[in-house]
Amino acid sequence: MIPQAISRAPDLFLPRPFQITGVRRETPDTVTLRLRSLQGDPFSFQPGQFNMLYLFGVGEVPISISGVHPKTRDLEHTVRAVGSVTRALVRLRKGHIVGLRGPFGRGWPLEEARGRDILILAGGIGLAPLRPVLQSLMAHRRDYEQIVLLYGARTPADLLYPTELERWRGRLDLQVFITVDRGDEAWRGHIGVVTTLLPMAERFLDLRQAIILMCGPEVMMRVAARELENRGASPEQIFLSLERNMKCAVGFCGHCQFGPAFICRDGPVFPLSQVRSLLEVREL
Amino acid sequence: MSKAEILKALRQHPFTHDMEEAWKESLAEIAQLQTYAPDTLLLREGRAADAFFLIVDGLVAIEMFIPGQGAIRLQTVSAGEIVGWSWALPPYRWEFDARALVETTAVVLDAAPLRARMSQDCALAAWILSRLLAVVAGRLKAARLQLLDLYAPPERRPA
Repeated sequence: MIPQAISRAPDLFLPRPFQITGVRRETPDTVTLRLRSLQGDPFSFQPGQFNMLYLFGVGEVPISISGVHPKTRDLEHTVRAVGSVTRALVRLRKGHIVGLRGPFGRGWPLEEARGRDILILAGGIGLAPLRPVLQSLMAHRRDYEQIVLLYGARTPADLLYPTELERWRGRLDLQVFITVDRGDEAWRGHIGVVTTLLPMAERFLDLRQAIILMCGPEVMMRVAARELENRGASPEQIFLSLERNMKCAVGFCGHCQFGPAFICRDGPVFPLSQVRSLLEVREL
Repeated sequence: MSKAEILKALRQHPFTHDMEEAWKESLAEIAQLQTYAPDTLLLREGRAADAFFLIVDGLVAIEMFIPGQGAIRLQTVSAGEIVGWSWALPPYRWEFDARALVETTAVVLDAAPLRARMSQDCALAAWILSRLLAVVAGRLKAARLQLLDLYAPPERRPA
């Protein structure tokens, strides 16, 4: 009997053409691409999932889905130029075509979070996969208790989605705290690592009860997880989005193997209880 | 500012809230509740470290002045945290500046009588210094993480 995943393989490996309908520059090296299927097929996803974006003739990279445009419902992907493919992706303009496979992976546990407090902790580009979480939470606000966003960036100029951050900060039912590693003359907010904001989150929610969603550099998440546990959170409450060298995106090729799991298929979102010991293995 | 108000602030502040009541009363005698306007310097590098600040409300930046560049903000400290530990270490001189970024209220303990009380009461000294050590360790960890420049492009991170 052919395993289901293999029988679906032709679809899973075939990029579908998507047209870029808009490009928004977020920071000097990061843009948000708005994409619409040329085939007009519907696209649904879970916050936290990712797509493989294929730039023809250049290569394919995994990119988290960073949301949907509120009016056009086009898919949004926030891309930072860090390698050859992403450097080419951030140079694309409206009208260009990319190939897209997906969505892949396991997203954030929003069903489990229903009726509970939620702490979202993001660092740098790590806010991108958490943005659809915020969009979903805001669309179903009454289903959740307190919601707190802690966001750390390198400098004020590196803050993603400044317009949305401003709008979120203005809401009475969402607490937003932002910090940067380096301030500038105009910056009157917090300076320091994102974990220094945890006492502020504790004013609004009980870390021993909340669902905690975290994405950022792995070192940041490791340190933050330790700090959260010191403050009473259990590993079962803490979920983090991991990143490895994902290629096939369906658990065949093994490039993103992380101990017994494949990040692309079993993640990228994992409960800390599942990966904590693996995070300490330096060879992985 | 009445002693009762200061005692109330000491009972609520995370640094002192679980301190023995008798110690809180003793500290209240050498404390003031101060409010600083935005941009006020709470302490200045090189000056005598004569106070210990428990931030009750507001936001304070720890800064260093660099000639030609001005004040560089290194870190901020908010409500529930403390500012200043040079008062506990000879030669009792501030190593950095601290500036209120917004209107800030703090319980300000007078350092000289605080040191005198700590030299007379080893248990009080141990209690305060162990709490201070936890703060210093937390700030050191945060500073080390900032040094890693984790959000920088990989090619620009420190080796």
